Amino acid sequence: MPEQERLATLTRILRDLLGDDTIELTMRTTRQDVPDWDSFCYVNFIVAVEAEFRIKFRIADIESFSTVGTIVKAIDTEQTR
Amino acid sequence: MLFNSYIFIFGFLPVTLGGFYVLGSRRREWALLWLAAASLLFYAWWRPLNVLLIAPSILINYGISRFLERNAQPRPGLARVALVAGIVFNLCFLGYFKYLTFGEQALNDLFGTSFILTQVVLPLGISFITFQKIAFLLDVHAGRVTHFTFREYALFVLFFPQLIAGPIVHYREMMPQFKAVSCRFDAENMSVGLTLFFFGLAKKLILADPLSSMVGTPYDQAASGVPPTIINAWIAALGFTLQIYFDFSGYCDMALGLARFFGIKLPVNFNSPLKARSIIDFWSRWHVTLTRFLTAYLYVPMTLAMTRRRMASGKPIRSARDMGASAFITVLAMPTILTMLVSGVWHGAGYTFLLWGLLHGVLLCINHAWRLIRPRIWRNTASYNRRVAPIAFLLTFISVVFAMAMFRAPSVGTAVVLWKGMIGGYGATLPQAILSRLGPIAGWLQALGVQPAWTSGSLLLTATARILVLLFIALALPNTLELLAAYEPAIGIKPAKAPGFLLGLTVWQPNRAWAVGLAGIALAGVLSLGGLHEFIYWQF
Repeated sequence: MPEQERLATLTRILRDLLGDDTIELTMRTTRQDVPDWDSFCYVNFIVAVEAEFRIKFRIADIESFSTVGTIVKAIDTEQTR
Repeated sequence: MLFNSYIFIFGFLPVTLGGFYVLGSRRREWALLWLAAASLLFYAWWRPLNVLLIAPSILINYGISRFLERNAQPRPGLARVALVAGIVFNLCFLGYFKYLTFGEQALNDLFGTSFILTQVVLPLGISFITFQKIAFLLDVHAGRVTHFTFREYALFVLFFPQLIAGPIVHYREMMPQFKAVSCRFDAENMSVGLTLFFFGLAKKLILADPLSSMVGTPYDQAASGVPPTIINAWIAALGFTLQIYFDFSGYCDMALGLARFFGIKLPVNFNSPLKARSIIDFWSRWHVTLTRFLTAYLYVPMTLAMTRRRMASGKPIRSARDMGASAFITVLAMPTILTMLVSGVWHGAGYTFLLWGLLHGVLLCINHAWRLIRPRIWRNTASYNRRVAPIAFLLTFISVVFAMAMFRAPSVGTAVVLWKGMIGGYGATLPQAILSRLGPIAGWLQALGVQPAWTSGSLLLTATARILVLLFIALALPNTLELLAAYEPAIGIKPAKAPGFLLGLTVWQPNRAWAVGLAGIALAGVLSLGGLHEFIYWQF
């Protein structure tokens, strides 16, 4: 699946979680860029992404995702594993 | 050795720094070794015995991390056992020194037992050192740290600018810096370091320390059964909030400055927390590296496990809008409150700290609940944030001040007495000297129930003025990170894209005006030396 499609999926998940339809994620977005994207919402987001793509991240990775882009790449790695 | 002592500023620091630069011009390894040795001396200064306590812990941790490094890949099961053993060892080490007495007391209180309370001398900075070591073990186990030597490990553990009271740093953010640092004199590092150091010294000595007697009296009175009237209660609560604010802010600035002398940048630890517009926001600004530690190693794993379990049992949280009460309790409230309870007792072994943690846990839950409910009521996030900002700020501020009273009070009872005073439970008084000068307003005030009192009017006025000035500094002025943003005062700090008017005027530049101003601040700070008030955070 191309990058853009994944970004769109992640954007939809986060919009649902935060109830904010103006959110637009890019590969460079960080958590600080999105208002109210706190640790709790982040965990919900991660689990929703795991369910959507039928993968499971390693806990050490979850902490070190610095941008949305690193999450998109991690989805690739996990799916090919 | 206190950062705010003559021996540190005029003895230890120049000698350590001079030696570092001289050795650095010959061989970098010598300079780094010198820095580690000086740090050990710094730690040993109060009680050389402390070194005998902390050294075995360092060695054992080093051994375990070596073992983890070698076995994490080939034998994951064994590595896991070693990791757990290492964490348990560190927690027991901390537990013995910090919690034995409180544990015995709690057992006595709960079951009426009569354990004799053991008095154990707390090795300095043990809570910070322990957390940092646990983080290191977890990082090695997760493969985030590879290839380290004993010398590097020792320098990481002992680096004196952050040894006693943080910031709690990660190996992966420090070691690349130690490996790259030139170990020579550098004008930019020196001037940025001096600015941070003297700003911190002035905050500590000129802004925070004079508050300690003003704050101490009402707390002592409340503890000895004198109920505080509303004004005194607020002076006590606000005064302590500002005292710990400038004390810790000053410490963090000094730590950043000291590290910078050696060419090292520390992570952000304190970022104008009283400007926060929610409790969640407050914790991303106050003691940032502790929040980071607890979030990464406690909160996220717990929440993740709970959320995954819910997901697996077919009750996914697709959106905030359909989160029920049971999900809220298991997935959000439990991990949040547990984490904050740990944060509470980490600060100190006592019921007040436990309750302070609980209070913040509950406040965080309310904050999260509102974040879930609010989009249903007020769809547009941007307009909500703009309109509600003043109320959000005020609610957060008042919550923090109330909670701080529990943090400072010598007992839970005293804190409750103080709270009652703050909401007017013990009436309101004004000094007669002030009332008699108010003219017709005095009549209205007395009609509202304000009683005259034979207390000092000038003391009250000085206290009020002091609090107002400090609030102005904390809430309206740009902080040191913002002033120095162009020179990356802490890891990752970048200049604001559109600096405000005040910041634009005051932004730090290596020019004559700043040199003169800074010299003034440094002089004022150094002339205030000698009181030797410990940093509040050094006792944790």
